Amino acid sequence: MTSTPDVPPAPPQSDPGAAEITTAFTVNGTPRTVGADTRVTLLDALRDRLGLTGTKKGCDQGACGACTVHVDGRRVLACLMLAAQCDGREVTTIEGLSREGRPHPMQDAFVRHDGFQCGYCTPGQIMSAVALLREGRAGTDEDIREFMSGNLCRCAAYPNVVAAIKDVAREGGDHAHL
Amino acid sequence: MSTAEDLPVLGAPVDRVDGPLKVTGQAPYPSDVDLPGQAHAALVQSTIAAGRITDLDTTEAEKAPGVLAVLTHHTVPRLPRGPMTSLGVSPPAPLQDDRIRHHGQHVALVVAESREQATAAARLVRVEYAPADPVLDFDDPRAVSVDDPWGLDSHRGDVDAGLASADVTVDAVYTTPDNTNNPLGLFSTLAAWEGERLTVYDATQWPAMVRETLAEVFGVPEVSVRVLSPFLGGGFGAGLRAWPHVILAVQAARDVGRPVKLVLTRPQMFTSVGHRPKGVQRVRLGATADATLVAIEHHSTSLLAVEDDDYEPFAAGSAVAYACPHVVTADRQVRANVPAPVSMRAPAHAQGNFALESAMDELACALDVDPLELRLRNHADVHPALGLPWSSNALRECYAVGAERFGWSRRPARPRSRRDGHWLVGQGMAGVSYPWYQAPSLARVTVTADGGATVASSGMDIGTGTYTVLTQLCAHLLGLPLEQVRSDLGDSDLPEAPQAGGSGLTSALGSAVADACERLLGALLELVRDDPESPLHGSDPEDVVAAGGGLRRRGDPGRGETYAAILARHGRPQLGADGASTPAQPTELGMALAGAFGAHFAEVRVDEDLGLVRVSRVTTVIDGGRILNEKTARSQVIGGVIGGIGMAVFEDTITDPTTGRIANATFGDYLVPVHADVPDLDVTFVGEPDRASALGVKGVGEVGLVGVAAAIANAVHHATGVRVRSLPITLDALL
Repeated sequence: MTSTPDVPPAPPQSDPGAAEITTAFTVNGTPRTVGADTRVTLLDALRDRLGLTGTKKGCDQGACGACTVHVDGRRVLACLMLAAQCDGREVTTIEGLSREGRPHPMQDAFVRHDGFQCGYCTPGQIMSAVALLREGRAGTDEDIREFMSGNLCRCAAYPNVVAAIKDVAREGGDHAHL
Repeated sequence: MSTAEDLPVLGAPVDRVDGPLKVTGQAPYPSDVDLPGQAHAALVQSTIAAGRITDLDTTEAEKAPGVLAVLTHHTVPRLPRGPMTSLGVSPPAPLQDDRIRHHGQHVALVVAESREQATAAARLVRVEYAPADPVLDFDDPRAVSVDDPWGLDSHRGDVDAGLASADVTVDAVYTTPDNTNNPLGLFSTLAAWEGERLTVYDATQWPAMVRETLAEVFGVPEVSVRVLSPFLGGGFGAGLRAWPHVILAVQAARDVGRPVKLVLTRPQMFTSVGHRPKGVQRVRLGATADATLVAIEHHSTSLLAVEDDDYEPFAAGSAVAYACPHVVTADRQVRANVPAPVSMRAPAHAQGNFALESAMDELACALDVDPLELRLRNHADVHPALGLPWSSNALRECYAVGAERFGWSRRPARPRSRRDGHWLVGQGMAGVSYPWYQAPSLARVTVTADGGATVASSGMDIGTGTYTVLTQLCAHLLGLPLEQVRSDLGDSDLPEAPQAGGSGLTSALGSAVADACERLLGALLELVRDDPESPLHGSDPEDVVAAGGGLRRRGDPGRGETYAAILARHGRPQLGADGASTPAQPTELGMALAGAFGAHFAEVRVDEDLGLVRVSRVTTVIDGGRILNEKTARSQVIGGVIGGIGMAVFEDTITDPTTGRIANATFGDYLVPVHADVPDLDVTFVGEPDRASALGVKGVGEVGLVGVAAAIANAVHHATGVRVRSLPITLDALL
């Protein structure tokens, strides 16, 4: 019996992964260029190539939300996007949320409401929460819960995350900030 | 001498001190660490559950771009197994022979220049097997079983006579499935050798244990091994072992002479770092017509890996949950070709309580008595096995406060009494008596020239708030503002603390920190008492308190000096003291050591047509002794309750019954609670500081989960009249 792991078939000998591609994009307001294997995801480019490890890998399958970043202002799962797809785009990560050294109001609110425990899903929760306000989906508790449901928290700080988002929404959202 | 009497920071719901690091993405989790020159590793796992490897061809993989090495059982030297721990034997060393014990067992490790190259090359490893028919369930006649694996089986009285004397009995079988810990953080190991010195950044809840294990396995002194885990993306028990992949990463780093980083994939998290094992439990209860328990019999059988241990005495908690003259509890584990189980938040008690507290609800129905009343009538006023008074016990208060907050008295007695449109509404409750656990701990506290203090320990903060509560405690005991105290944790080079597990770290490590503070203050007092230049010269120790960032005369805060001043005058850059704590002994104290107690009241809504279950609210009241930080403690309990909701209605690791392959090893297929599943939760703390703990603390990391599944199952029965004895409660059971 011959068997291989439960993964897609092996790449052919002329492995396209071996090819390098250069991607120029803006990360947290700074132009960056990444020369990488075509298989490199935005998530791995951020973490491994640009040293921005605030964006987390929880599944690498687009199912947990830990890698949520903003691409051209919209929330995106960085594990489901290739770095090469980001050419010419604008990417914001948790490291780019503060302004002039001051944390984003959402970051403060997460601390105040204890919206995390281990903290691993937190950058993704916060990036999602900031986008949620911009999307106008933080009007009710039900909306917040529904539209934050792509961000898993295994410590289950969910009620505190909702409280933090409501708090920021009440204060007028992040319009003053971003 | 005594410390400041007012408690400005102790118990206060202060924000997490590590919060700013976590919300800005700056907290360094193990997978965030990179070292110069590091290589990346990827695992190859078996695709059969039992048998042998007949051929393992790495030729193609070795030729793939960037590949540095492929480790197999042909290349890895014979390694000894790690040491015995309080959780049993260490997992078997990896890649030692051609035997396959479970589906998803590591069979090779590919090391390459990049993550992508390692992952691609891992697919090129060709493995041929001679498969055997795996043992996958309890009822396989070939399965080897272990009776009373933890020596906790118990009996008192004569349970058969008790049952014979009962007016009403319940006899029911409950099943719980495999659940997977699934911390959000992918487990990661980064290993680097410098000569015989080994540094490992590892996703562990127990740095000291990993250090001891690696020293033993690789034949180097413990002092030359350093294990770091200052932040961890959750563990829930998965980080309580030195897993085979950790050993492999260390071996790979030795083989290639470079640091090697291995990050597990989410599917690998299901097979490589443990899970809560499935089990079958039979509970028999007997009561007289006045609702007095006369017999409890609780037997469990759970699944175990072929060559591992796992602490899962499901039934043990039933021996001490209620006052009852006739009790038998017995646990059995059955070995199967499954990945190794491990503690998962409230091991054994999560499952055992579901069976006992479901059976209690069935008994209440059979007796036609309110479920809360049944528990109150049989409350264990003293420890039922030892006959000693509890070191603390506010379970009655948990019930009373919970019932009041929830509005239990308005609950109609009959099932199917309430509906809201097509939703059937039901309410259920359960009680919890969580066991006491503590292990010896060390800690060091140092005051430094800047007048601040540092707490140092190998113990780590899994997200419970250890950084914060130790900082609060030290600040309180030394009379310092929070900002002037720092805690350094999760580094095996620091004084040894036990695992972040068993709800025992805060009490153990906190007590060690308190002891270190006391010793440190004693040493500081010695310095000033004989020093003519000190304003405290000649002071009676009883008249000196720690306050205002230094030592002060009691009642005369103007007379004293700061730690900075004391150190400066004596030419010392710092002054430290080591502290220790050892677990209390009940016989010496004349008290039964109490863990946390709790009560959960749950409301569910069940769609009458579709069988959908929605948990609409939960009220939880916990006696956790002294609460060091109400904010982080509340978060612990909230997290536990939601973990319990997951256990009750979502979580189910499904193993294919013929191949032994886990069929739902992704977050897309293994359901955990998400934002939209979580209703309003009401959490309250009651009780007094525990008399047996130096700090009065009882851990609250696990108690919040226990009992939730039973409260929900009991509420589902109340809503629908259907008794579901098998978790998770899914719609097929209610249609």
